[in-house]
Amino acid sequence: MRSLILRRPLKQLLAAVALTTSTALALSACAAPSTPSGSAPASAGAKTEITLSMQNPDVKTADPATWAIVQAFEAANPDVTVTVSGEAVAEHLQKLSIAAQSDTLPDIFWVYKANAEEMLQAGKLLDLKPVLDELGITSELPTSTVENFTSDGKIYGVPYQELLTGLWVNKKILTDNGLQMPTTFDDLVNVAKTLHAKGITTISNGANQSAFSVWSFLVWLDRFGYEDKLSGLLDGSISYNNADFQRMYEHIAQLRDAGAFSSNVSTQTYQQAVSQFTNGKAAMLDAGVWASSAIQESKVAPNIGFWQGAQFSDGVGNQNIIMDVASAPLVVSAKSGADPTKLAAIKKFLAFYYGEKGQQILVDNGQPPVTNYQATVDETTQSVLKVALEAASAEGVSSPKSQPDLLVSTQVANAMYDSIYGVIQNQLEPKAALDLVQKALDENR
Amino acid sequence: MNWISSRPKILLMLAPAFILFTLFMTYPVGYSLAFSLTKFQGFGTPRWTGLDNYARILTDQFFWQALVNTAIILVVSLAVLIPGSFALALLLQRKIAGSGALKALVFGPAIIAPILVGLIWVFILDPKIGLLNRALAGLGVPAVTWIGGNTLTPYSVAIVFIWSSIGFAMTIFYAGLQTLPSDVMEASALDGATGWQQVRHVTIPMLRATFAIVTILLITNVFKIFELVYVLTGGGPVHRSETLVSYMYYVTFTNQQYGYGMALAVIITVLGALVSAGYLMLSSRKGDRR
Amino acid sequence: MSRAVAEPTPAVASGPRQPLSPAKRKQRRTLLALAAIAYLITFLVILPILWIVLLSFQPSADILNDPLSLGHLGLANYVNAVQSLPLLRMYANTFLIAIAAVSLGTVVSFMAAFALTRMVFRHRRLQSAVKFYFLAGLAVPVYILLFPVYRLDLALGLFGTYGALILPYAAVSIPFNTLLMTGFLADFPAEIEEAAIIDGAGLWRLCISVVLPIMRPVIATILIFNIVYVFNEFPFASILINDPNMVTVSLAVSRFQGQFTVDYGGMMASATMVLIPQLVIYAFFQRQIIAGMTAGAVKG
Repeated sequence: MRSLILRRPLKQLLAAVALTTSTALALSACAAPSTPSGSAPASAGAKTEITLSMQNPDVKTADPATWAIVQAFEAANPDVTVTVSGEAVAEHLQKLSIAAQSDTLPDIFWVYKANAEEMLQAGKLLDLKPVLDELGITSELPTSTVENFTSDGKIYGVPYQELLTGLWVNKKILTDNGLQMPTTFDDLVNVAKTLHAKGITTISNGANQSAFSVWSFLVWLDRFGYEDKLSGLLDGSISYNNADFQRMYEHIAQLRDAGAFSSNVSTQTYQQAVSQFTNGKAAMLDAGVWASSAIQESKVAPNIGFWQGAQFSDGVGNQNIIMDVASAPLVVSAKSGADPTKLAAIKKFLAFYYGEKGQQILVDNGQPPVTNYQATVDETTQSVLKVALEAASAEGVSSPKSQPDLLVSTQVANAMYDSIYGVIQNQLEPKAALDLVQKALDENR
Repeated sequence: MNWISSRPKILLMLAPAFILFTLFMTYPVGYSLAFSLTKFQGFGTPRWTGLDNYARILTDQFFWQALVNTAIILVVSLAVLIPGSFALALLLQRKIAGSGALKALVFGPAIIAPILVGLIWVFILDPKIGLLNRALAGLGVPAVTWIGGNTLTPYSVAIVFIWSSIGFAMTIFYAGLQTLPSDVMEASALDGATGWQQVRHVTIPMLRATFAIVTILLITNVFKIFELVYVLTGGGPVHRSETLVSYMYYVTFTNQQYGYGMALAVIITVLGALVSAGYLMLSSRKGDRR
Repeated sequence: MSRAVAEPTPAVASGPRQPLSPAKRKQRRTLLALAAIAYLITFLVILPILWIVLLSFQPSADILNDPLSLGHLGLANYVNAVQSLPLLRMYANTFLIAIAAVSLGTVVSFMAAFALTRMVFRHRRLQSAVKFYFLAGLAVPVYILLFPVYRLDLALGLFGTYGALILPYAAVSIPFNTLLMTGFLADFPAEIEEAAIIDGAGLWRLCISVVLPIMRPVIATILIFNIVYVFNEFPFASILINDPNMVTVSLAVSRFQGQFTVDYGGMMASATMVLIPQLVIYAFFQRQIIAGMTAGAVKG
C-alpha cells in the first residue's frame, strides 16, 4: 500500500512534466514568427530599428561613453531605435564569427581590425567610403586612422574609441622614495630597483585572462623599428628574432630582474592590476586612457602623471613617441547596407557619433575624441584625462600609425603577448620568446 | 521479456533519443570534423588542408604540456574522489543527525557554475593575496606558488576539481546504495559480518555498475575541465598550466584558428572516449557481472 | 525530514539512562565519531561557499585588496545586481527551459534505457552498439557543438525561440542519463517485471507502474544533475540567445565582466542569488532519493 501512495505524486509529476513539455514546444513554435529578423513591416512613420553589438555584456556600466551616445542619439532621432547588445570579448567574437557564416550579423558592431579585414574580403561588410564622404566624416578623421581602416580602396570601419596608451604614474610614490619621473630605460630600471628594495611594485600588470595588457611594451616594439620592419616580418624576409628585437626583449628581462613586476603577475588579472594601482600599492599602471575614470574616482587622482614610456639609447629611430591611434573599428554589415531604410538610420547614427555632439559625449565620459574635434575638458572633474591628453599633445611627441598587435593576425598578436609576458614571468628566455612569435608568423603566411 | 520486444516497439522506444542525439550531437561532431580538415580563421572562407592540422598537433609543445597536465589532474582526482566520495556516501547513509542537510551542503559545490568555482578559489590560492598563503604566513610558512608557478598548478586544479565534484560523485553513490535490496544487507549483517566486511564483500561487489558510472563520468569530466583553469591562471604562465580543453578554447576562440581548434577538439573527444573505454574493458575483465 | 522526526537518530538521542551493553556502547561511540567526521568534511566543503556569500557583501575594491576586511559590509552589490539584471525574467526563462529540456531529455533517455536493458534485440551486438553510441557523447566537449548547433537552429527555424536551447540541452543530457539509467537497470533483476508481464501488463504499464518506481532514486539524481546543468550552462546560452528577453541565469554572472572592467561584487552577489534556488531544488529532490529507499524495498 505504501508504495502505491508514494507512487501517486510521481505520476502527477510525470503528467505535469508531459504537459509542460508539450506547452513549451508549442510556445517555442508560436514564438518563432516573432523573431527579430529585420522583417518588421516598414509602414510609414514606423520606427526603424538598428542593432549595435558591442564587446561588453553590460554596455551601460562598462562602456558609459557608447551608452550615453546611444541615449542622446535616440533623443535627437525619435524615428530610430538603437538596440544595444553585448557580450564579453571572447563570446562577442564567437557570436560574430558564427553570424558572419550564417548571414545574421548585427547592423553595426565592434570587431578587431584583422577580423574586419577578413569579413570585408568575404563580402560581409559595407564599404563606408561613400557614406563617410557624403556625411563629411572622412575629412574630420585623422588621415592615419582612415588609412588604417582602408583596404583595397574601401573604408570598412570607423574608429570606435581612441587608443591612447602609456604608463599611469603615481608621482607621490616616486617623490616619497626620493625618485624623479623617469625618462630613459636606465631611469626606469633605477626606479624599479629602489622600489623593489622597499617592497613596492613598479609596474602593475596582470597576465591572467588579460595577456593583452602589455600596451607599454608594444610601444617599445615601435622604439625598436617595428614599423619599418613590418612588411618584411609579414613576407618572411625579416625574422622577428632579429638583433633589434633581441635587445628589446633583453631589456624586458633586465626590468624583470630589477623587480619591477608584482610577484603574482601570473595569477593577477588586468582588473586586479588596476585596483593595485588605484589603491596606491604600485607606482605605475600599464594601461590606457580608458582607465582614466577609475583613476579619477580613486584616492591617487591628485598625484597622477601619464608617461609615454621609456626611451632607449640603443633603440631604433625616433624615441619620443606615444601610442595615440585608433582602436578597433566599428563596422557595418553589408546586408544592412543593402536595406535603404536601415542604411538611412545607420547614416544618421554615424553622423551623430562622429559629429561634435557625439565627440563631446565621448570626452564627457573620459574618452578622447576620435575626430579632429577640439574637446572641452573639465579641469577638476577630468583632471586625470587631461593629464593624458596633454601628454599626447606635448611638444615634439609623435604617434606610430597603429599599435603593433593590430597590424598582424590574431594568432601573431597573441604570440606577441605571450612572448612579452613570457619574459616578464621568467618563463621564456628572450630568444625563445622571439622564436615563439616567429613561429606564429610562419604559420600565418 | 520477449513478449514486449517486437521490432516496432523497440524502434518506438529508441527513436526519440536516437533522433535527438543524432541531430544535435552526432551531426555537429561530423560538421566540426570536416572543419578540422581546413584552415579557417573564423571570419573568412575555410581552405581545405587535409590532415595538416593533425600533423601540427604532433609538434605543438603547448598541446603536449596540456596533455600532461590533464593526465596529472586525472590521476590525482580519481585516486582521491572514488574512495573519498564512496566513503562519504556510506558515512552520510548512517543515521547521523541532520544527514539530509549535510548531503545538501556537500552537494553545494556541484551546483556552482565552474567559472565561479574558479573565481572562489583564485582568492584562496593566489600566491600573493590568497587566503591560504595568508594563513600559512601566520604560521610562519613561506609563500607557496599554488597556482601560476612552474609545477603546482595542475595539482591545485585537481584539488579544486575534487572539491567541486565530491558532492556529485557522492550523490550517485548514495543513489546506488539506496537501490541495494535491504534483505541482502540484513542477511549479511545477521551472518555477523562487520561493517568493513559487509562493505568489502557485499556492498562494493553489488555496486560495481555504480563504480563504473562514477569513474566514467569523472574521467570524461576531467577531460572537459576548462573554466577552472581559465579563471585560476588563464592557462599561464605562457600556457604552462593549460588543460586540453582550455588550450583548445585558446586556439579556437582567442587565437581564432577554428580549423586547428576543431582538430584539437576531435583529438580530445577521441582521447576521452578511449580512456573511458579502456577503463570499461579493464573493469569488465576483472569480474564478469551476472 | 519526516523520517528524521519519526525515528530520532542515535547520535542525539537522549533516551532513558540505562546501562548499555558494551557492544551497544561501542556502536554508539563509533557513530558519534563518524558524525564528527561527517560534520568536519561538510564544514570544509562549504567553507568556500560561505566565503562567496561573505564576499558578496563587500565592495569590489575590498574584494580585490583586502578580502578579509569586514569593515564595509553592505547590500550594495545586491542592490546593484537587482537593478542591472532582469532577474525575474532570467529565472522564469531558466525554469521554462530547464523544465522542458530536462523532461524531454529524461523521458527519451528513459525509453531508450529501457529498450537497451530490458528489451530483447534480435542482434545483441546492435543493442550494445546503440548504447555505446549514446555513451560516446560523454566525451564530446561542448565547444565542438557550438557552431554547428547554431546553424542547425537557424535551419530548423528554432533560432530566437526557447527551442533553440531546449533541444540541444536535452540532446546533451542523453549520454549522461543513458549511462545512469542503463547502469542501474542492469543492476536490477528483471523478475518483478516478468511477473508483471505474466499478470498481463503491456509495455506502457510496465514502464510507468513497474520500472519507473524502482528507478525513483536514479531519476531524482538525474533530474537534479540535469537541472543544475541547465542553470550553469554558459557556452550555448551565450551564443544561442540573441533576444535580451530570453536571457537565462547562467548569463547573470558574466554581465559584470566587461572588456576592461570587472565588478567582482556584482558577480558574487548574482552568484549567490543563482545558487540559493538550486540548493532548494536539490533539497526537494533529495527527499525523492530517500523516498526511493521504501520504493526499492517493495520488490524485496
